[in-house]
Amino acid sequence: MVSYKYSDKGTVIHRLNPWCKLAWIVGVCIFALLFDSPVYLLLLSLSTLPVILAAKMWKEWLSVMKFAFFLCLLIIVINALVSNQGSHILYQFPFAIPIAGAPRITLEGILWGVGNSLRLLAIISAFTVLMFAIHPDDLMLAMVKAKLPYKSVMVTSLSTKFVPALIDDAQRIADGKKSRGLELDKGGRIQRVKSYASIAIPLLSNSLDRAVQVAEAMESRAFGSGQKRTFYKELKISKVDITILSFVFSSIAFGIFLRCLGQGGYQYYPVVEAVSLTASEWAMLFVLLLLVNTMPILALLKRKVSLD
Amino acid sequence: MISMKNLTFYYSGSDKPALRDINLEIEDGEFVLLTGPSGGGKSSLCRCLNGLIPHFYGGKITGRVGVNGLDVTKHSTKELATMVGMVFQDPENQLVAVDVDSELAFGLENLAFAKEMIARRVEEALDTVGIVSLRHRATNELSGGEKQRVAIASVLALYPDILVLDEPTSELDPKGAEDVLNVVERLNDELGITVILVEHRLDRVVAHSDRVIVLEKGMITADGSPRSILSDGRVSQSGVGIPPIIKLAQAVKSKGNLIDNTPLTVKEGRIALAKTLRHSKPFASRHSEHPSLSLRAEGVAIPRPFASPFAALRASAQGDNKRPVIASPSYVIASETKQSHLKPLIEVKNLWHAYPDGFVALKGINLKVCPGEFVAIMGRNASGKTSLVKHFNGLLKPTKGDVILDDINTKETTVAELSRKVGYVFQNPNDHLFCDTVEEELAFTLNNLGSKGEEAELLINRTLERFGLMQYRYQYPRFLSGGEKQRVALASILVAQPQVIILDEPTRGMEYRLKAELMKFLDQYRREGRAVILVTQDVEIAAEFSDRVVLLSEGKIVVDGPRKEVLSQALLFSPQINRLAQALKSYGVPGDILTAEEMIEALT
Repeated sequence: MVSYKYSDKGTVIHRLNPWCKLAWIVGVCIFALLFDSPVYLLLLSLSTLPVILAAKMWKEWLSVMKFAFFLCLLIIVINALVSNQGSHILYQFPFAIPIAGAPRITLEGILWGVGNSLRLLAIISAFTVLMFAIHPDDLMLAMVKAKLPYKSVMVTSLSTKFVPALIDDAQRIADGKKSRGLELDKGGRIQRVKSYASIAIPLLSNSLDRAVQVAEAMESRAFGSGQKRTFYKELKISKVDITILSFVFSSIAFGIFLRCLGQGGYQYYPVVEAVSLTASEWAMLFVLLLLVNTMPILALLKRKVSLD
Repeated sequence: MISMKNLTFYYSGSDKPALRDINLEIEDGEFVLLTGPSGGGKSSLCRCLNGLIPHFYGGKITGRVGVNGLDVTKHSTKELATMVGMVFQDPENQLVAVDVDSELAFGLENLAFAKEMIARRVEEALDTVGIVSLRHRATNELSGGEKQRVAIASVLALYPDILVLDEPTSELDPKGAEDVLNVVERLNDELGITVILVEHRLDRVVAHSDRVIVLEKGMITADGSPRSILSDGRVSQSGVGIPPIIKLAQAVKSKGNLIDNTPLTVKEGRIALAKTLRHSKPFASRHSEHPSLSLRAEGVAIPRPFASPFAALRASAQGDNKRPVIASPSYVIASETKQSHLKPLIEVKNLWHAYPDGFVALKGINLKVCPGEFVAIMGRNASGKTSLVKHFNGLLKPTKGDVILDDINTKETTVAELSRKVGYVFQNPNDHLFCDTVEEELAFTLNNLGSKGEEAELLINRTLERFGLMQYRYQYPRFLSGGEKQRVALASILVAQPQVIILDEPTRGMEYRLKAELMKFLDQYRREGRAVILVTQDVEIAAEFSDRVVLLSEGKIVVDGPRKEVLSQALLFSPQINRLAQALKSYGVPGDILTAEEMIEALT
């Protein structure tokens, strides 16, 4: 079992300024949306791994990726069934649907699904860093610095804090119902959905009770006192952090530049393209991936330096 | 200083006052214990002190509440935050930050303290409460007792003059409760902080308080020193749990014996009783016309093994320990079932359980429960108590080993199927209640078990009657008071008349009268040939009502035996009176006495 919440593992990645990590996540997402070539997307997904490893969060990452993988499978299957474009027909269904025409499975349809799955994997992989390697307080401070209203940030942070409590609540209520003779897992699908829906009402009233109690406790400790709030912790930004930030930004700029040169593009339809990169394209891609990975490299070096 | 003048308060939409004409003055540095039945207005009174009433709750308030000269109705909760610190019942729902130190800083940040000042205050609060070692821990990983201490520290950082704690220990295990109360006592002693503590269990705190206030139906019905309040017969009738030691002292006194003062602690009791034993003539010797003491359970005649009043004492003093000095009725039942060849209702064979995260909760449990037994399952937090009983109705399935319930292996059936035979009452009644009316709650269980129509109607009526719930029949269960909710939860399980009833910590945070009522009912239930299994950390309850105690530690059964054997030898799990009895052994008091009633019996 992996708990889906931040835990301070004390690694160099956990110690980094949250802005570095946020910028890096944004960078990976930009690239994932910018490039279409499956080669680029595959290597981009893989290049998130050093950060995951350096943050010692592979267990959490793996459990999230299991879900992501399942999601990707779904995308591939649905796209293959729905999309009837593409010229390499692998299977032609023996019937036709009015307006939509005769459904068929094409090579292009499958490959499009695979390509876009890689895109999704890169983004999800980057977001695990947000979930598991940025301290919620740091994230909150960063959001407040970014001029988001404090109350909204606090509410968001609180709601994530109470998710585990909500899951426990649901489990207990389900146990209570079963103990009173309700067969939660029996009957047809509709019956089961109905049975589980009946958990929602006590869950909701418990949550409302909890909300009142939390509000009371916060009120008693002068929350929203009208004065401008101060912050006990502050985000420290070191020279290494600034260096990392500048590398991350330059990687984003470089990536956009490459895309403008026409690199990393790809066409699935109507006929799937051959994947071929020139030597200079390979070199440029390599430089880009290196830039993406300056964060873990410099963070590790930073520790070396600070130990001396 | 706190002063309340003619305070009356109505919650909005209610025509019954929650507080009625309260007049109260509390001096600086006082330790006030606030007690009384649930729904008596204790929480409402607390919330008046920092302005949550009326600013947060609304409603109608008349009269005046002054805190340090400020009128609470004119100053907001936020302004009062630096004067009155509030600690609430549920440790989960009052912590808002991720780490302990940010939790402590939260209030100070809200009040815009400078960063350096916050750092200083956080440091001081950590030291004062003694939780420096927790400072970098995540709040959601702490135990209940630790959370509650963090909550205290987090309001302490605001330097309040008054600390108000609304049942801070009712969700905690005995160890956690002890830690929290120790802190509260120290804050009052050393820093002179005024403490207003709401508590049901008085035995632990009464010795430390300066004043006890009893609130009933929104009114103050008693207010005075702990000794005077607790020796006042009226108070004990209002449902306040009188600590066993005081019960004992009262009984001794009522027999015409002198006893110094009213002892509040085991130590005081030991000294006072030893003195009485040494000086007084054999007490109660001329009182044989009082065969049944008022404190004893009604209708249970305890056989008197010795004719001469002090014979019991003499006999055991001479080393004649083999003869049973006291034959309590429950003890007899326990030994009967052990010897009899009744078929066990529950049979646990080499049970192991590992949770998905790899934590092994149970390690080779062997246990039999027979009809008519009242078993208390005790142990520290995370010792496997709940994991064990969840196997009895199939909520958990064995990783290894078997649980056989009336010839059915729990592995081969569903929880719903087992619910015909086993009723399981959860700690929090809110987890049980989800129907629109009390009646529907009961019908829900019966419908699931296939009972409908007139037969169900009859069962529902009978059960409602039995639990005194007829008047609430068409009410929304969640709007009832705590004790009533607990009763509805219990009725919703017992309407199906299961062979085995399991209760997980049903008495936590429950007032004494309700506890006693519940236990009396359960005792009757098991006499109908059913088994009652009680998971509890309340030693006094186990000592008074169960007949067999199973002590768990780290997933193993450490001791399993008649309550006398188990509880009179346990260090942590021994009731107040037993600690007294142990100390009075040299006077011939048997060492296995557990309750005030038994002690009185032994002395007469």
